[in-house]
Amino acid sequence: MGDSDLSRALEQAYFEAAERNETWSGLPCREFYGPEHVAGLDYGTALADPGAYPYTRGVHANMYRGRLWTRREVCGFGSGRDTNERMRFQVANGVSGLSVIDDNNGSLCIDADHPLGIPEAGIQGVSVSSLADFEAIFEGIPIDRVSVAFDISGLDSIAWMALYVALAERRGIDVAALRGTVQNDTLHFQYCGYGDSCPVDLGLKASVDIIEFCTRRMPRWYTGNVNMYDLREQGLDAPQEVAFGFGNAIEYTERAIARGLGVDEFAPRRGFYCSCHIDFFEEIAKLRAARRMWARIMRERFQAAEPRSWQFRFGVHTAGVSLTAPQPLNNAIRVAYEALAAVLGGAQSIHCCSYDEPIGLPTEASQQLAIRTQQVLAYETGVTRVADPLGGSYYLEALTERIEAEATRILAAIGAQGGMAAAVRSGWVQREIDAAIARRQQEIERNEKVVVGVNAFRQPRETETPGGVHRPPSGQGERLAEAVRRLRATRDAGAVRRALRALRECAGLGEKENLLPALIEAAGVYATVGEMLGVVRQAYGLPYDPLGTIEAPRDLAA
Amino acid sequence: MSRPRRVLLAKVGLDGHDRGVKVVAAMLRDAGMHVVYLGIHRTSEAIARAAVQEGVDVIGLSSLGGTHLVHAHEVIERMREERLDDVPVVLGGTVPVEDIPALEALGVRAVLRPGASRDEIVATISLAAEAARRD
Repeated sequence: MGDSDLSRALEQAYFEAAERNETWSGLPCREFYGPEHVAGLDYGTALADPGAYPYTRGVHANMYRGRLWTRREVCGFGSGRDTNERMRFQVANGVSGLSVIDDNNGSLCIDADHPLGIPEAGIQGVSVSSLADFEAIFEGIPIDRVSVAFDISGLDSIAWMALYVALAERRGIDVAALRGTVQNDTLHFQYCGYGDSCPVDLGLKASVDIIEFCTRRMPRWYTGNVNMYDLREQGLDAPQEVAFGFGNAIEYTERAIARGLGVDEFAPRRGFYCSCHIDFFEEIAKLRAARRMWARIMRERFQAAEPRSWQFRFGVHTAGVSLTAPQPLNNAIRVAYEALAAVLGGAQSIHCCSYDEPIGLPTEASQQLAIRTQQVLAYETGVTRVADPLGGSYYLEALTERIEAEATRILAAIGAQGGMAAAVRSGWVQREIDAAIARRQQEIERNEKVVVGVNAFRQPRETETPGGVHRPPSGQGERLAEAVRRLRATRDAGAVRRALRALRECAGLGEKENLLPALIEAAGVYATVGEMLGVVRQAYGLPYDPLGTIEAPRDLAA
Repeated sequence: MSRPRRVLLAKVGLDGHDRGVKVVAAMLRDAGMHVVYLGIHRTSEAIARAAVQEGVDVIGLSSLGGTHLVHAHEVIERMREERLDDVPVVLGGTVPVEDIPALEALGVRAVLRPGASRDEIVATISLAAEAARRD
């Protein structure tokens, strides 16, 4: 750079002004906010103290003084044993809850030895085909005492519940003692690339089966965590994230009531899984707005009487989509801001992304840094001392109201279409997502939003990945497939056949017949996930294999 | 005037992350190309079949699930068997830079990584299609 260039660059940078004066979601902002911008806000009805309806300021009066947020990091790769080892590594590094995710085969409910599944086995998550895999994942882990989150949403949710209960029974543990969460947001599979494996009707039925079974038998279990995160990752904005997520939540609530459950029986054990994107104040406002909205929906629309039914409890996943492949170490900074917003928004649980997420699966070191990010936040910054520390900020309160108004408008539009299941079926949800995808891309190309390292402050691309790359061992898929083939050859074939027939029988009895007892029986005799969901699919007039490649085992046919 | 470049896009394997490939499809259409997007969960057989039926100049594979080496290998092998090796394959997605030489050795013409600009994407695909015509 020549001297005159240097002088020009420096001068230009020195006088640079903040260009964008609207939020990430496009909500316009003033230069500053004052009392007149929150003049209509009544403290008692719109805010109230933390721990009091409508919970804008948090679901607990003492917030993190009562209990820190759960520090979880999503975990799952390779075999059950690989995942067990990684969870032990996480615990040794100070996580406070476990969180397990399945591979693509799991999401689609096919087994590791499915011809199309072998290369995928154990890649994006842990490979689970049967109870044998659960035994390995939870080897030495006292499942009657620790809280486990299952990061799975489709029909795999009901399969995993059956496997977990079967595991508890095998260990002689009372299922009522089991503590944890299953995402169980089957509708969300319709717009997240796995729709074929989880048709709307069967998915909703399975979701309600889980709610019903857990309400009766597993009182400490959270029966669903509506996945608002994946909606946001698709490109939707903050008010859409809330509105679409609530659209799903309302659908499950209505259907659980239709099944015969009282709203206060199950609503206290429902949760949400939110994104925390990069626009700091907007995200905090979003979480506060969501709390207020949900409390009012539950109390006014569903007539819930239990305070716990009104409370919007949520985990946060920092926004994977905000991370960049160029200059990947910058991602650690983004994640830290996003996690800070989650805490200031009152999150119950946080997963921090690894900085290498846009490049590949996390390494041990990148996951360790994600855990450390949470620990610096929890133990050093002091943000845990006071509940809702930003409450009363003119700006934040005005923004909270703005997001609530916008989300309420979108939710009404979903309602006008007959609810979220109808909006998914008609293709409206997908069209909204596709429009958002195009908009997000345009913003970057037109430099309407700066993304450091992508459309500003670029450097030559890295010639190697800082910190290295996680590599699955070669031959992993074939080994996992072979283990399933071996299982099929050695288990009690008669017991499996009887259990699967009973399951198909049960699935044929219709909507209200809960599938879980029959699934638990089948899981307990080592029927595989592919077999169990396969016979259920058949009873619903669907092909045994969601990918249409394999046939039902001959001794199960007819 | 030459006919528009014909591009086949597909997600191979079971990964469901399809936001990126949809953006790429729109970019290529905006650039005047004829794009056929096959969708998610495509097998190498389906891709080779569609490549013949659609008479495409270039194939773009999207992979965000960590299985790019396996699936690129599968698709390219299948293309060879079907005597389609003159159709270049470009792969895009979450690919560590360390894997690019291995992908090229398999026969992948070019790799597009997250953060690639519209210009880079359009130019890479055009160049691949152009090279195929000259070959």
